[in-house]
Amino acid sequence: MVDDIIVAEGLVKRFGKLTAVDHVDVRIRNGEIFGILGPNGAGKTTTVRLLTTMDLPDEGRIFINGLDTSTQFVDARRRIGIIQQQHSLDKDISVRENIIHHALMQGLSLKEGRKRMMELAETMELTDRLDTLVSSLSGGWKKRVSIVCSMIHHPDILFMDEPTTGLDTQSRNLLWKLIRNLNHSGTTIFLTTHYIYEAENLCDRISIIDDGKIIAEGTPKELIEELGNVTLVRTDSDEPQFSYFRTREEAKEAAKDVGGEFSVMIRKTTLEDVFLELTGRTV
Amino acid sequence: MYNIFSEIWRISYGDLCFIKRHIPETLISALVGPLLYLLAFAYGMRSGDTEAGVDYVAYAIPGIIAISSMTSGYNATAQKILIQRLFHTSFDELVLCPMHTSSLIFGKTVIGVVRGLLGCIILLGLGMFLTDDLVISIWTIPIFLLSCVTFSLLGVTAGLLAKTGPTLTLFASVVILPMTFLCGTLFSIDALPDIVKQIIWALPLSHSSTAIRSFCLGWDVPWVSIGILLIYLVVFYLMDRYIILKKLY
Ligand SMILES: Nc1ncnc2c1ncn2[C@@H]1O[C@H](COP(=O)(O)OP(=O)(O)OP(=O)(O)O)[C@@H](O)[C@H]1O
Ligand SMILES: [Mg+2]
Repeated sequence: MVDDIIVAEGLVKRFGKLTAVDHVDVRIRNGEIFGILGPNGAGKTTTVRLLTTMDLPDEGRIFINGLDTSTQFVDARRRIGIIQQQHSLDKDISVRENIIHHALMQGLSLKEGRKRMMELAETMELTDRLDTLVSSLSGGWKKRVSIVCSMIHHPDILFMDEPTTGLDTQSRNLLWKLIRNLNHSGTTIFLTTHYIYEAENLCDRISIIDDGKIIAEGTPKELIEELGNVTLVRTDSDEPQFSYFRTREEAKEAAKDVGGEFSVMIRKTTLEDVFLELTGRTV
Repeated sequence: MYNIFSEIWRISYGDLCFIKRHIPETLISALVGPLLYLLAFAYGMRSGDTEAGVDYVAYAIPGIIAISSMTSGYNATAQKILIQRLFHTSFDELVLCPMHTSSLIFGKTVIGVVRGLLGCIILLGLGMFLTDDLVISIWTIPIFLLSCVTFSLLGVTAGLLAKTGPTLTLFASVVILPMTFLCGTLFSIDALPDIVKQIIWALPLSHSSTAIRSFCLGWDVPWVSIGILLIYLVVFYLMDRYIILKKLY
Protein backbone atom coordinates (compact mmCIF):
# COMPACT_ATOMS: atom_id res chain seq x y z
CA MET A 1 0.00 0.00 0.00
CA VAL A 2 1.18 3.49 -0.82
CA ASP A 3 1.11 6.39 1.67
CA ASP A 4 -1.02 8.66 -0.48
CA ILE A 5 -4.15 6.84 -1.54
CA ILE A 6 -5.13 9.59 -3.99
CA VAL A 7 -2.69 11.75 -5.85
CA ALA A 8 -4.04 14.19 -8.40
CA GLU A 9 -1.85 16.64 -10.24
CA GLY A 10 -2.85 19.68 -12.24
CA LEU A 11 -6.50 18.76 -12.76
CA VAL A 12 -8.36 20.98 -15.18
CA LYS A 13 -11.99 20.64 -16.23
CA ARG A 14 -13.67 23.13 -18.53
CA PHE A 15 -17.33 23.47 -19.48
CA GLY A 16 -17.26 25.70 -22.53
CA LYS A 17 -15.65 28.95 -21.41
CA LEU A 18 -16.01 28.17 -17.71
CA THR A 19 -13.06 26.52 -16.01
CA ALA A 20 -14.85 24.64 -13.24
CA VAL A 21 -11.66 23.04 -11.92
CA ASP A 22 -8.50 25.02 -12.45
CA HIS A 23 -5.15 23.25 -11.91
CA VAL A 24 -6.18 21.46 -8.76
CA ASP A 25 -3.68 19.28 -6.89
CA VAL A 26 -5.00 16.86 -4.30
CA ARG A 27 -3.06 14.48 -2.10
CA ILE A 28 -5.02 12.27 0.27
CA ARG A 29 -3.22 10.18 2.85
CA ASN A 30 -4.21 6.70 3.72
CA GLY A 31 -6.59 6.57 6.66
CA GLU A 32 -7.46 10.24 6.99
CA ILE A 33 -10.67 12.21 6.70
CA PHE A 34 -9.98 14.79 4.04
CA GLY A 35 -12.36 17.62 3.31
CA ILE A 36 -12.80 20.05 0.48
CA LEU A 37 -14.44 23.21 1.70
CA GLY A 38 -15.95 25.71 -0.68
CA PRO A 39 -19.03 27.78 -1.47
CA ASN A 40 -21.74 26.83 -4.02
CA GLY A 41 -20.36 26.51 -7.50
CA ALA A 42 -16.74 26.38 -6.33
CA GLY A 43 -16.07 23.13 -8.16
CA LYS A 44 -16.43 20.55 -5.39
CA THR A 45 -18.73 18.18 -7.25
CA THR A 46 -16.69 18.50 -10.42
CA THR A 47 -13.54 17.62 -8.45
CA VAL A 48 -15.23 14.56 -6.98
CA ARG A 49 -16.45 13.48 -10.41
CA LEU A 50 -12.93 13.74 -11.78
CA LEU A 51 -11.29 11.89 -8.89
CA THR A 52 -13.82 9.06 -9.12
CA THR A 53 -13.35 8.82 -12.92
CA MET A 54 -17.00 9.70 -13.57
CA ASP A 55 -15.74 12.54 -15.75
CA LEU A 56 -12.50 12.76 -17.67
CA PRO A 57 -10.23 15.73 -16.91
CA ASP A 58 -9.14 18.03 -19.73
CA GLU A 59 -5.69 18.12 -18.18
CA GLY A 60 -3.91 16.45 -15.30
CA ARG A 61 -3.40 12.99 -13.90
CA ILE A 62 -4.99 10.98 -11.13
CA PHE A 63 -3.56 8.02 -9.24
CA ILE A 64 -5.70 5.92 -6.94
CA ASN A 65 -3.60 3.66 -4.76
CA GLY A 66 -0.79 4.07 -7.23
CA LEU A 67 -2.97 3.09 -10.21
CA ASP A 68 -3.11 5.55 -13.08
CA THR A 69 -6.82 6.14 -13.69
CA SER A 70 -6.33 6.96 -17.33
CA THR A 71 -5.11 3.43 -18.04
CA GLN A 72 -5.94 1.24 -15.02
CA PHE A 73 -9.39 2.61 -14.34
CA VAL A 74 -11.07 -0.76 -13.86
CA ASP A 75 -8.77 -1.72 -10.99
CA ALA A 76 -8.76 1.80 -9.63
CA ARG A 77 -12.55 1.89 -9.52
CA ARG A 78 -12.72 -1.22 -7.37
CA ARG A 79 -10.99 0.72 -4.58
CA ILE A 80 -13.52 3.48 -4.33
CA GLY A 81 -17.02 3.98 -3.02
CA ILE A 82 -19.09 7.00 -3.95
CA ILE A 83 -21.96 8.87 -2.38
CA GLN A 84 -23.07 11.60 -4.71
CA GLN A 85 -24.61 14.89 -3.71
CA GLN A 86 -27.94 13.86 -5.21
CA HIS A 87 -28.80 10.44 -3.89
CA SER A 88 -28.59 7.83 -6.59
CA LEU A 89 -30.78 5.09 -5.19
CA ASP A 90 -33.59 3.50 -7.18
CA LYS A 91 -36.54 4.92 -5.29
CA ASP A 92 -39.09 2.46 -6.67
CA ILE A 93 -37.54 -0.59 -5.05
CA SER A 94 -36.80 -1.47 -1.45
CA VAL A 95 -33.72 -0.71 0.61
CA ARG A 96 -32.74 -4.37 0.52
CA GLU A 97 -33.12 -4.59 -3.26
CA ASN A 98 -31.02 -1.47 -3.74
CA ILE A 99 -28.24 -2.80 -1.54
CA ILE A 100 -28.21 -6.24 -3.17
CA HIS A 101 -28.20 -4.61 -6.59
CA HIS A 102 -25.09 -2.65 -5.64
CA ALA A 103 -23.44 -5.78 -4.27
CA LEU A 104 -24.13 -7.66 -7.51
CA MET A 105 -22.86 -4.80 -9.63
CA GLN A 106 -19.63 -4.81 -7.67
CA GLY A 107 -19.19 -8.47 -8.49
CA LEU A 108 -20.16 -9.98 -5.12
CA SER A 109 -22.19 -13.18 -5.05
CA LEU A 110 -25.74 -13.04 -3.71
CA LYS A 111 -24.59 -14.78 -0.56
CA GLU A 112 -21.66 -12.46 0.05
CA GLY A 113 -23.88 -9.50 -0.70
CA ARG A 114 -26.49 -10.54 1.84
CA LYS A 115 -23.88 -11.15 4.51
CA ARG A 116 -22.18 -7.82 3.96
CA MET A 117 -25.56 -6.07 3.84
CA MET A 118 -26.49 -7.41 7.26
CA GLU A 119 -23.15 -6.30 8.74
CA LEU A 120 -23.41 -2.80 7.35
CA ALA A 121 -27.12 -2.45 8.04
CA GLU A 122 -26.33 -3.22 11.65
CA THR A 123 -23.73 -0.45 11.95
CA MET A 124 -26.02 1.99 10.15
CA GLU A 125 -28.97 0.92 12.30
CA LEU A 126 -30.91 0.10 9.16
CA THR A 127 -31.88 -3.47 9.92
CA ASP A 128 -35.52 -2.65 10.62
CA ARG A 129 -35.97 -0.73 7.40
CA LEU A 130 -34.60 -3.14 4.85
CA ASP A 131 -37.99 -3.81 3.33
CA THR A 132 -39.09 -0.19 3.14
CA LEU A 133 -39.39 1.43 -0.27
CA VAL A 134 -36.62 3.98 -0.72
CA SER A 135 -39.14 6.60 -1.86
CA SER A 136 -40.74 6.59 1.57
CA LEU A 137 -37.51 7.27 3.49
CA SER A 138 -36.45 10.71 4.71
CA GLY A 139 -33.20 12.32 3.59
CA GLY A 140 -31.15 11.13 6.54
CA TRP A 141 -32.20 7.53 6.07
CA LYS A 142 -31.52 7.66 2.36
CA LYS A 143 -27.99 8.84 3.17
CA ARG A 144 -27.49 5.81 5.36
CA VAL A 145 -28.72 3.50 2.63
CA SER A 146 -26.33 5.22 0.23
CA ILE A 147 -23.49 4.61 2.66
CA VAL A 148 -24.29 0.90 2.87
CA CYS A 149 -24.49 0.67 -0.94
CA SER A 150 -21.21 2.47 -1.43
CA MET A 151 -19.41 0.42 1.23
CA ILE A 152 -20.68 -2.95 0.10
CA HIS A 153 -17.48 -3.94 -1.73
CA HIS A 154 -15.03 -2.92 1.03
CA PRO A 155 -13.63 0.14 -0.76
CA ASP A 156 -10.40 1.65 0.57
CA ILE A 157 -11.68 5.14 0.12
CA LEU A 158 -15.17 6.59 0.32
CA PHE A 159 -16.06 9.79 -1.52
CA MET A 160 -18.94 11.75 -0.04
CA ASP A 161 -20.17 14.85 -1.84
CA GLU A 162 -21.81 17.13 0.73
CA PRO A 163 -23.01 14.25 2.90
CA THR A 164 -24.76 16.38 5.51
CA THR A 165 -26.35 19.10 3.38
CA GLY A 166 -30.07 19.16 3.96
CA LEU A 167 -29.99 17.05 7.13
CA ASP A 168 -31.24 18.28 10.50
CA THR A 169 -28.80 18.65 13.38
CA GLN A 170 -29.63 15.31 14.90
CA SER A 171 -29.16 13.35 11.66
CA ARG A 172 -26.01 15.30 10.98
CA ASN A 173 -24.49 14.43 14.34
CA LEU A 174 -25.37 10.81 13.84
CA LEU A 175 -23.87 10.82 10.35
CA TRP A 176 -20.68 12.34 11.71
CA LYS A 177 -20.49 9.55 14.24
CA LEU A 178 -20.98 6.97 11.48
CA ILE A 179 -18.35 8.60 9.30
CA ARG A 180 -15.87 8.57 12.19
CA ASN A 181 -16.63 4.91 12.84
CA LEU A 182 -16.02 4.00 9.21
CA ASN A 183 -12.79 5.94 9.34
CA HIS A 184 -11.66 4.18 12.52
CA SER A 185 -12.27 0.85 10.92
CA GLY A 186 -9.80 1.76 8.20
CA THR A 187 -11.68 3.55 5.39
CA THR A 188 -10.16 6.74 4.08
CA ILE A 189 -12.82 9.42 3.72
CA PHE A 190 -12.95 12.19 1.16
CA LEU A 191 -15.79 14.60 1.70
CA THR A 192 -16.87 17.96 0.40
CA THR A 193 -18.76 20.48 2.43
CA HIS A 194 -19.74 24.10 2.59
CA TYR A 195 -20.11 23.96 6.37
CA ILE A 196 -17.04 25.42 8.02
CA TYR A 197 -17.95 23.79 11.29
CA GLU A 198 -18.00 20.40 9.61
CA ALA A 199 -14.62 20.93 8.00
CA GLU A 200 -13.14 22.09 11.27
CA ASN A 201 -14.51 19.32 13.43
CA LEU A 202 -14.71 16.26 11.25
CA CYS A 203 -11.74 16.55 8.94
CA ASP A 204 -8.10 15.76 9.64
CA ARG A 205 -7.01 17.89 6.72
CA ILE A 206 -8.79 20.25 4.38
CA SER A 207 -8.37 22.11 1.15
CA ILE A 208 -10.27 25.29 0.54
CA ILE A 209 -11.56 25.66 -3.00
CA ASP A 210 -12.91 28.80 -4.58
CA ASP A 211 -13.65 29.47 -8.25
CA GLY A 212 -12.13 26.14 -9.18
CA LYS A 213 -8.80 26.84 -7.49
CA ILE A 214 -7.36 25.42 -4.28
CA ILE A 215 -6.45 28.46 -2.24
CA ALA A 216 -5.25 26.81 0.98
CA GLU A 217 -4.46 23.41 2.32
CA GLY A 218 -3.59 21.92 5.69
CA THR A 219 -5.06 20.80 9.00
CA PRO A 220 -7.68 23.22 10.32
CA LYS A 221 -5.24 24.02 13.14
CA GLU A 222 -2.41 24.81 10.73
CA LEU A 223 -4.59 27.05 8.63
CA ILE A 224 -5.73 28.97 11.66
CA GLU A 225 -2.20 29.22 13.05
CA GLU A 226 -0.93 30.52 9.78
CA LEU A 227 -3.35 33.41 9.99
CA GLY A 228 -2.90 33.94 13.74
CA ASN A 229 -4.63 32.15 16.59
CA VAL A 230 -6.24 35.28 18.01
CA THR A 231 -8.53 37.71 16.23
CA LEU A 232 -9.10 41.30 17.11
CA VAL A 233 -12.40 42.67 15.82
CA ARG A 234 -13.00 46.40 15.60
CA THR A 235 -16.51 47.52 14.91
CA ASP A 236 -17.99 50.93 14.34
CA SER A 237 -21.10 51.63 12.28
CA ASP A 238 -19.54 50.06 9.18
CA GLU A 239 -18.24 46.60 8.40
CA PRO A 240 -16.19 45.04 11.19
CA GLN A 241 -12.45 44.99 10.67
CA PHE A 242 -10.28 42.05 11.63
CA SER A 243 -6.64 41.76 12.54
CA TYR A 244 -4.87 38.57 13.55
CA PHE A 245 -2.25 37.84 16.17
CA ARG A 246 -0.22 34.91 17.35
CA THR A 247 -1.11 35.39 21.00
CA ARG A 248 -3.77 37.04 23.10
CA GLU A 249 -1.15 39.35 24.61
CA GLU A 250 -0.24 40.76 21.22
CA ALA A 251 -3.89 41.30 20.43
CA LYS A 252 -4.47 43.08 23.75
CA GLU A 253 -1.50 45.29 23.07
CA ALA A 254 -2.92 46.24 19.67
CA ALA A 255 -6.38 46.82 21.16
CA LYS A 256 -4.95 49.62 23.33
CA ASP A 257 -4.30 51.69 20.23
CA VAL A 258 -7.84 51.38 18.90
CA GLY A 259 -9.77 54.66 19.07
CA GLY A 260 -12.71 55.09 21.46
CA GLU A 261 -15.27 55.25 18.64
CA PHE A 262 -14.82 51.50 17.97
CA SER A 263 -16.07 48.61 19.98
CA VAL A 264 -13.39 45.95 20.33
CA MET A 265 -13.55 42.21 20.71
CA ILE A 266 -10.77 39.67 21.11
CA ARG A 267 -11.59 36.04 20.29
CA LYS A 268 -10.16 32.78 18.96
CA THR A 269 -9.59 32.72 15.22
CA THR A 270 -11.85 30.29 13.37
CA LEU A 271 -11.72 28.64 10.00
CA GLU A 272 -14.41 31.10 8.97
CA ASP A 273 -11.87 33.92 9.43
CA VAL A 274 -9.38 32.01 7.32
CA PHE A 275 -11.93 31.65 4.59
CA LEU A 276 -12.95 35.29 4.77
CA GLU A 277 -9.35 36.44 4.64
CA LEU A 278 -8.56 34.24 1.64
CA THR A 279 -11.62 34.96 -0.45
CA GLY A 280 -12.90 38.27 0.83
CA ARG A 281 -16.25 36.75 1.67
CA THR A 282 -17.97 34.19 3.85
CA VAL A 283 -18.87 30.73 2.70
CA MET B 1 -14.38 -15.20 -21.89
CA TYR B 2 -16.48 -13.68 -19.18
CA ASN B 3 -19.99 -14.68 -18.33
CA ILE B 4 -22.07 -12.05 -20.08
CA PHE B 5 -25.36 -13.51 -18.85
CA SER B 6 -24.26 -13.26 -15.24
CA GLU B 7 -23.21 -9.66 -15.78
CA ILE B 8 -26.45 -8.79 -17.54
CA TRP B 9 -28.36 -10.22 -14.60
CA ARG B 10 -26.27 -8.19 -12.15
CA ILE B 11 -26.85 -4.98 -14.07
CA SER B 12 -30.57 -5.55 -14.52
CA TYR B 13 -31.28 -6.84 -11.00
CA GLY B 14 -32.75 -3.51 -9.87
CA ASP B 15 -34.97 -3.24 -12.94
CA LEU B 16 -36.11 -6.85 -12.51
CA CYS B 17 -37.06 -6.14 -8.89
CA PHE B 18 -39.02 -3.17 -10.18
CA ILE B 19 -40.90 -5.28 -12.74
CA LYS B 20 -41.61 -7.93 -10.13
CA ARG B 21 -43.19 -5.32 -7.87
CA HIS B 22 -45.32 -3.91 -10.68
CA ILE B 23 -46.41 -6.86 -12.78
CA PRO B 24 -50.06 -5.79 -13.21
CA GLU B 25 -49.21 -2.17 -14.06
CA THR B 26 -46.44 -3.31 -16.40
CA LEU B 27 -48.78 -5.66 -18.25
CA ILE B 28 -51.66 -3.24 -18.49
CA SER B 29 -49.55 -0.38 -19.75
CA ALA B 30 -47.79 -2.64 -22.25
CA LEU B 31 -51.08 -4.00 -23.59
CA VAL B 32 -53.53 -1.10 -23.73
CA GLY B 33 -51.99 0.38 -26.88
CA PRO B 34 -51.81 -2.84 -28.89
CA LEU B 35 -55.31 -3.86 -27.83
CA LEU B 36 -56.64 -0.54 -29.05
CA TYR B 37 -54.93 -1.10 -32.39
CA LEU B 38 -56.47 -4.51 -32.51
CA LEU B 39 -59.95 -3.17 -31.89
CA ALA B 40 -59.67 -0.11 -34.10
CA PHE B 41 -57.93 -1.65 -37.08
CA ALA B 42 -58.54 -5.35 -37.06
CA TYR B 43 -62.20 -4.94 -36.21
CA GLY B 44 -63.25 -1.33 -36.69
CA MET B 45 -61.72 -1.01 -40.14
CA ARG B 46 -61.64 -4.64 -41.14
CA SER B 47 -61.55 -5.06 -44.85
CA GLY B 48 -62.01 -8.73 -45.40
CA ASP B 49 -59.21 -10.66 -47.05
CA THR B 50 -55.92 -8.94 -47.82
CA GLU B 51 -54.00 -9.38 -51.03
CA ALA B 52 -51.82 -11.83 -49.16
CA GLY B 53 -54.78 -14.12 -49.04
CA VAL B 54 -55.32 -14.24 -45.30
CA ASP B 55 -58.01 -12.83 -43.12
CA TYR B 56 -57.26 -9.20 -42.15
CA VAL B 57 -57.32 -9.98 -38.43
CA ALA B 58 -54.66 -12.63 -38.95
CA TYR B 59 -52.71 -10.16 -41.08
CA ALA B 60 -52.88 -7.30 -38.59
CA ILE B 61 -52.13 -9.19 -35.39
CA PRO B 62 -48.46 -9.94 -36.22
CA GLY B 63 -48.09 -6.26 -37.17
CA ILE B 64 -49.55 -5.23 -33.84
CA ILE B 65 -47.17 -7.64 -32.10
CA ALA B 66 -44.27 -5.93 -33.91
CA ILE B 67 -45.57 -2.52 -32.82
CA SER B 68 -45.83 -3.74 -29.28
CA SER B 69 -42.26 -5.08 -29.27
CA MET B 70 -41.05 -1.74 -30.51
CA THR B 71 -42.98 0.59 -28.23
CA SER B 72 -42.51 -1.46 -25.07
CA GLY B 73 -38.87 -2.15 -25.76
CA TYR B 74 -38.08 1.39 -26.73
CA ASN B 75 -40.12 3.28 -24.14
CA ALA B 76 -39.33 1.25 -21.06
CA THR B 77 -35.60 1.29 -21.76
CA ALA B 78 -35.29 4.91 -22.83
CA GLN B 79 -37.32 6.26 -19.93
CA LYS B 80 -35.51 4.23 -17.32
CA ILE B 81 -32.11 5.37 -18.55
CA LEU B 82 -33.14 8.99 -18.80
CA ILE B 83 -34.46 8.96 -15.24
CA GLN B 84 -31.32 7.27 -13.98
CA ARG B 85 -29.16 9.79 -15.75
CA LEU B 86 -30.96 13.00 -14.97
CA PHE B 87 -32.88 12.57 -11.76
CA HIS B 88 -30.82 10.31 -9.68
CA THR B 89 -27.44 10.28 -11.36
CA SER B 90 -27.12 6.55 -10.77
CA PHE B 91 -26.22 5.91 -14.38
CA ASP B 92 -22.78 7.40 -13.76
CA GLU B 93 -22.23 4.91 -10.95
CA LEU B 94 -23.41 2.09 -13.15
CA VAL B 95 -20.77 2.95 -15.71
CA LEU B 96 -18.15 2.84 -12.95
CA CYS B 97 -18.93 -0.65 -11.73
CA PRO B 98 -16.49 -3.34 -12.82
CA MET B 99 -18.62 -4.80 -15.61
CA HIS B 100 -18.06 -4.93 -19.34
CA THR B 101 -19.63 -2.23 -21.45
CA SER B 102 -21.52 -4.84 -23.48
CA SER B 103 -23.08 -6.23 -20.31
CA LEU B 104 -24.06 -2.74 -19.30
CA ILE B 105 -25.76 -2.06 -22.63
CA PHE B 106 -27.64 -5.35 -22.79
CA GLY B 107 -28.34 -5.21 -19.05
CA LYS B 108 -30.15 -1.93 -19.53
CA THR B 109 -32.26 -3.41 -22.33
CA VAL B 110 -33.64 -6.12 -20.05
CA ILE B 111 -36.51 -4.03 -18.70
CA GLY B 112 -37.65 -3.25 -22.25
CA VAL B 113 -37.15 -6.80 -23.47
CA VAL B 114 -39.13 -8.34 -20.61
CA ARG B 115 -42.01 -5.93 -21.08
CA GLY B 116 -41.92 -6.35 -24.84
CA LEU B 117 -41.81 -10.14 -24.71
CA LEU B 118 -44.68 -10.36 -22.24
CA GLY B 119 -46.76 -8.13 -24.48
CA CYS B 120 -45.91 -10.09 -27.63
CA ILE B 121 -46.75 -13.45 -26.08
CA ILE B 122 -50.05 -12.29 -24.65
CA LEU B 123 -51.05 -10.71 -27.97
CA LEU B 124 -50.19 -13.87 -29.86
CA GLY B 125 -52.23 -15.95 -27.42
CA LEU B 126 -55.15 -13.59 -27.83
CA GLY B 127 -54.72 -13.64 -31.59
CA MET B 128 -54.84 -17.43 -31.70
CA PHE B 129 -58.10 -17.23 -29.86
CA LEU B 130 -59.50 -14.84 -32.48
CA THR B 131 -58.32 -16.51 -35.66
CA ASP B 132 -57.13 -19.96 -36.73
CA ASP B 133 -54.49 -18.71 -39.16
CA LEU B 134 -51.81 -17.94 -36.55
CA VAL B 135 -49.24 -20.61 -35.72
CA ILE B 136 -46.52 -21.10 -33.15
CA SER B 137 -43.10 -22.47 -34.06
CA ILE B 138 -39.67 -22.75 -32.51
CA TRP B 139 -38.97 -19.43 -34.22
CA THR B 140 -41.72 -17.54 -32.45
CA ILE B 141 -39.86 -16.60 -29.27
CA PRO B 142 -36.48 -15.98 -30.97
CA ILE B 143 -38.03 -13.59 -33.47
CA PHE B 144 -39.93 -11.73 -30.73
CA LEU B 145 -36.68 -11.55 -28.79
CA LEU B 146 -34.74 -10.23 -31.77
CA SER B 147 -37.28 -7.50 -32.33
CA CYS B 148 -37.51 -6.52 -28.64
CA VAL B 149 -33.73 -6.43 -28.19
CA THR B 150 -33.22 -4.33 -31.31
CA PHE B 151 -35.73 -1.69 -30.27
CA SER B 152 -34.55 -1.71 -26.67
CA LEU B 153 -31.04 -0.98 -27.93
CA LEU B 154 -32.50 1.98 -29.79
CA GLY B 155 -34.15 2.93 -26.49
CA VAL B 156 -30.70 2.87 -24.85
CA THR B 157 -29.42 5.25 -27.53
CA ALA B 158 -32.32 7.63 -27.06
CA GLY B 159 -32.12 7.46 -23.26
CA LEU B 160 -28.42 8.26 -23.41
CA LEU B 161 -28.63 11.12 -25.86
CA ALA B 162 -31.79 12.90 -24.69
CA LYS B 163 -30.99 15.97 -22.63
CA THR B 164 -34.51 16.27 -21.21
CA GLY B 165 -37.81 14.39 -21.02
CA PRO B 166 -39.37 16.45 -23.85
CA THR B 167 -36.46 15.53 -26.18
CA LEU B 168 -37.33 11.92 -25.63
CA THR B 169 -41.00 12.57 -26.32
CA LEU B 170 -40.03 14.43 -29.47
CA PHE B 171 -37.99 11.49 -30.72
CA ALA B 172 -40.88 9.17 -29.95
CA SER B 173 -43.29 11.30 -31.97
CA VAL B 174 -41.10 11.87 -35.00
CA VAL B 175 -39.50 8.42 -35.23
CA ILE B 176 -41.45 5.84 -33.28
CA LEU B 177 -45.01 6.96 -33.98
CA PRO B 178 -44.67 7.19 -37.80
CA MET B 179 -43.04 3.77 -37.88
CA THR B 180 -45.98 2.41 -35.91
CA PHE B 181 -48.40 3.25 -38.70
CA LEU B 182 -46.34 3.03 -41.83
CA CYS B 183 -44.02 0.05 -41.55
CA GLY B 184 -46.30 -2.59 -42.98
CA THR B 185 -47.83 -3.25 -39.61
CA LEU B 186 -51.50 -2.63 -40.33
CA PHE B 187 -51.42 -2.59 -44.10
CA SER B 188 -48.92 -3.72 -46.71
CA ILE B 189 -46.31 -1.14 -47.69
CA ASP B 190 -47.11 -2.01 -51.31
CA ALA B 191 -50.09 0.33 -50.91
CA LEU B 192 -47.72 3.30 -50.55
CA PRO B 193 -46.30 5.50 -53.36
CA ASP B 194 -43.03 4.07 -54.69
CA ILE B 195 -40.58 6.56 -53.23
CA VAL B 196 -42.19 6.49 -49.77
CA LYS B 197 -42.29 2.75 -49.98
CA GLN B 198 -38.54 2.52 -50.42
CA ILE B 199 -37.84 4.72 -47.42
CA ILE B 200 -40.31 2.83 -45.28
CA TRP B 201 -38.83 -0.47 -46.42
CA ALA B 202 -35.46 0.54 -44.98
CA LEU B 203 -36.85 1.13 -41.46
CA PRO B 204 -36.39 -1.55 -38.80
CA LEU B 205 -40.05 -1.96 -37.91
CA SER B 206 -40.84 -2.97 -41.51
CA HIS B 207 -38.55 -5.95 -41.11
CA SER B 208 -39.70 -6.71 -37.63
CA SER B 209 -43.30 -6.88 -38.83
CA THR B 210 -42.42 -8.82 -41.99
CA ALA B 211 -40.43 -11.36 -40.00
CA ILE B 212 -42.99 -11.75 -37.23
CA ARG B 213 -45.80 -12.04 -39.77
CA SER B 214 -43.98 -14.69 -41.78
CA PHE B 215 -43.41 -16.86 -38.75
CA CYS B 216 -46.83 -16.32 -37.24
CA LEU B 217 -48.59 -17.18 -40.50
CA GLY B 218 -46.25 -20.06 -41.36
CA TRP B 219 -44.85 -18.43 -44.50
CA ASP B 220 -41.29 -18.89 -45.82
CA VAL B 221 -38.42 -17.95 -43.53
CA PRO B 222 -37.84 -14.19 -44.09
CA TRP B 223 -34.06 -14.30 -44.26
CA VAL B 224 -33.69 -10.80 -45.66
CA SER B 225 -35.71 -9.23 -42.87
CA ILE B 226 -33.90 -11.23 -40.22
CA GLY B 227 -30.58 -10.14 -41.70
CA ILE B 228 -31.57 -6.48 -41.78
CA LEU B 229 -32.89 -6.62 -38.22
CA LEU B 230 -29.60 -8.13 -37.13
CA ILE B 231 -27.74 -5.31 -38.87
CA TYR B 232 -29.89 -2.76 -37.03
CA LEU B 233 -29.19 -4.57 -33.77
CA VAL B 234 -25.44 -4.40 -34.32
CA VAL B 235 -25.56 -0.76 -35.40
CA PHE B 236 -27.63 0.30 -32.37
CA TYR B 237 -25.32 -1.67 -30.10
CA LEU B 238 -22.22 -0.07 -31.57
CA MET B 239 -23.76 3.38 -31.23
CA ASP B 240 -24.53 2.73 -27.56
CA ARG B 241 -21.05 1.45 -26.99
CA TYR B 242 -19.48 4.48 -28.62
CA ILE B 243 -21.64 6.90 -26.62
CA ILE B 244 -20.76 5.22 -23.34
CA LEU B 245 -17.05 4.80 -23.95
CA LYS B 246 -16.67 8.38 -25.17
CA LYS B 247 -18.85 9.63 -22.30
CA LEU B 248 -21.07 11.51 -24.74
CA TYR B 249 -24.20 11.09 -22.63
N1 LIG C 1 -22.08 19.50 -16.72
C1 LIG C 1 -21.84 20.81 -16.58
N2 LIG C 1 -21.99 21.64 -17.64
C2 LIG C 1 -21.73 22.96 -17.51
N3 LIG C 1 -21.32 23.55 -16.38
C3 LIG C 1 -21.16 22.78 -15.30
C4 LIG C 1 -21.42 21.37 -15.33
N4 LIG C 1 -21.18 20.86 -14.12
C5 LIG C 1 -20.80 21.91 -13.35
N5 LIG C 1 -20.79 23.05 -14.05
C6 LIG C 1 -20.38 24.37 -13.53
O1 LIG C 1 -19.13 24.24 -12.92
C7 LIG C 1 -19.05 25.02 -11.74
C8 LIG C 1 -18.69 24.15 -10.56
O2 LIG C 1 -19.80 23.29 -10.30
P1 LIG C 1 -19.79 22.21 -9.15
O3 LIG C 1 -21.04 21.46 -9.26
O4 LIG C 1 -18.53 21.45 -9.19
O5 LIG C 1 -19.81 23.13 -7.85
P2 LIG C 1 -20.01 22.69 -6.34
O6 LIG C 1 -18.85 23.26 -5.60
O7 LIG C 1 -20.23 21.25 -6.23
O8 LIG C 1 -21.31 23.51 -5.94
P3 LIG C 1 -22.51 23.10 -4.93
O9 LIG C 1 -22.07 23.49 -3.56
O10 LIG C 1 -23.63 23.95 -5.41
O11 LIG C 1 -22.77 21.66 -5.08
C9 LIG C 1 -20.41 25.70 -11.60
O12 LIG C 1 -20.29 27.01 -12.09
C10 LIG C 1 -21.32 24.89 -12.46
O13 LIG C 1 -22.34 25.68 -13.00
MG1 LIG D 1 -21.76 20.08 -5.56
